[in-house]
Amino acid sequence: MSVTTDETVTRSENQGPAPVKKLQRRGVFAGGQYIPYTLLLPAVIVLLGVLVYPIYRLFDLAFQNVNKFAYLKHPEKAKYIGLDGFDKILHDDTFWEVILRSIYFTAELVILSMVLSMLIALLLNRVSNWVRVTVFTVMMFVWAIPALVNGQVFRWLFASNGGVVDYVAYLITGDETWKNYDWFADPTVGLYVVGAAVVIWGALPFLVLGLYAALTQVPKELMEAAKLDGANGLQAFFHVTIPVIRPFLMISAALSFIWDFQVFAQIYALRNSSPESGYQTIGTYLYMEGIVPSRYSDASVISIIMIIMMLAALVFYIRQMLKIGANER
Amino acid sequence: MSDVLSPAPETQQPLPPVKKPKKSKETEVGRSGVMTWVWNTIALLVAVVMAFPIYWMVLTTFKTNKDLISQNPTFWPSTFSLDSYKTIFDDKDFLPSLQNTVLLTLGAVVLGVAVGFLAAVAVARFNFRGRNFFIVTMLVVQMVPLMAILIPLFVLMNEINMTGTIVGVILAYLVFTVPYVIWTLRSFIVNIPSELDEAAMVDGCTQWGAFFRIILPLTMPGLVTTAVYSWIQAWNEFIVVKTLMATNGKNTSMTWLTFYSSTPTRAADYGSQMAGGLLVSLPVIILFVFFQKKVSAGLTAGAVKG
Repeated sequence: MSVTTDETVTRSENQGPAPVKKLQRRGVFAGGQYIPYTLLLPAVIVLLGVLVYPIYRLFDLAFQNVNKFAYLKHPEKAKYIGLDGFDKILHDDTFWEVILRSIYFTAELVILSMVLSMLIALLLNRVSNWVRVTVFTVMMFVWAIPALVNGQVFRWLFASNGGVVDYVAYLITGDETWKNYDWFADPTVGLYVVGAAVVIWGALPFLVLGLYAALTQVPKELMEAAKLDGANGLQAFFHVTIPVIRPFLMISAALSFIWDFQVFAQIYALRNSSPESGYQTIGTYLYMEGIVPSRYSDASVISIIMIIMMLAALVFYIRQMLKIGANER
Repeated sequence: MSDVLSPAPETQQPLPPVKKPKKSKETEVGRSGVMTWVWNTIALLVAVVMAFPIYWMVLTTFKTNKDLISQNPTFWPSTFSLDSYKTIFDDKDFLPSLQNTVLLTLGAVVLGVAVGFLAAVAVARFNFRGRNFFIVTMLVVQMVPLMAILIPLFVLMNEINMTGTIVGVILAYLVFTVPYVIWTLRSFIVNIPSELDEAAMVDGCTQWGAFFRIILPLTMPGLVTTAVYSWIQAWNEFIVVKTLMATNGKNTSMTWLTFYSSTPTRAADYGSQMAGGLLVSLPVIILFVFFQKKVSAGLTAGAVKG
């Protein structure tokens, strides 16, 4: 209502051609010859500049030997070496160790975080309201903490001198040696236990809240029908609940994979800015061995391999999102 | 973690199915009342485990040095001390880096949302050639790992002498803000029924009038959502800053924190490290908690009805 009354004012203030003409002009605009392109222009320029061109440079660098900062200052030193850069990286044993470690670590993270969040979401379906609100509030705060700070906090929790985890282990077992147990001495323990704990702790809020919301979408009638037909709790879960929440499960699994595969900040902070080689998964490896020592070409090669390895999950995720997007329209 | 793992599998078979059909409603209610308390206890345990790291972080900042180096940490400080915070504020790099962060974040959010909003209107309200291609591209582009294009971004910024400047980093941040803003705002704008602005124009609104009076206010929740999200992303980001800016001695809060914690003399001073960590994440925490409700708020609810 207010729109119409205000409108007379603006129309007289503005140029205000006759209403009939305006409707015609609107038709031209809606047909959209140049307006949409004008609106898109800034975004296109920005993305060409900071994304498309850099990606082109990424491939360009991957086929050169620019492995020192001096080569950037004196471009004449740089030369194209074809696939030799890829050859070098792919024949590096350390690189393959990193790839394997990334795969194991990602698998552990995705599986554990999905299962845990599913269990917690199911649990939240059965608790009293105030308990649910409490859990949600906690989750919200956990979610809000920056990943870098997560890593830092867990470094302190698991510290071998005065760390609270060691102390709790001592309280439970009564064994004094626990008080100085060094969680980070063995990278396998440090990464797959402590590293996984940080990442999963940080990932749970998004997954739990999302899964809980998805679970509330499961129609009660369907569950009742399943129960009437004699399905037990497990059967109903696997044959009714899972199929209904499948789209969200798929998307969150794909997202978890994408995030966990390139995990960086948490591990970086957990090892106080210098993750040892035993802690390096592909993201950390790329940073510590490629970017920090200014090996631009090597880093480009690793980046490209990293993108290729994520491609399957990326394509899957994008297809799911487009399906949802299509339904929206 | 283990105490989360062990009790949880029980959640899957909560109702023994054999007895169920025979039981009358009252007994079922009674039993589920008992069960609810079991679930409540487990859920509260989960909450405690989840909350503990945060509690420990906050607690650590208030402990005295004597408490901190103790082999038997106390779960409640014997005396409250603000020394850790004093150490942080005495650090001469803390406030300048905070100032850099604010400038950087503001720049990235304003620029990202403005550019993204225009494009989102184009994508949501106009039919043009290449529209679908553009939408899909926005989704694909969001998935490119930032770390992977860090090297070419550095090389590029180096060539145009933008390394070590805040503007350079703001431009680099558009990589992740713009595609996200376009993708998210698009669905907000698509959901505004075009009848609304058509009705406004029939009632005599100009094209721009309809835009400012109908589309802009109704997109506000979306703008807030995307701005908050971009703000958090930009505030938390540190690899780009470390590579493009911090090499020239300019820090943001996050890179300051990494430098501060990895200084050998500070490595064991967890009190001030936690205080620093808490202080630099406080703006994000406040924003996050404050806007959580708004983000999920329905958007055109009532606009057509009212």
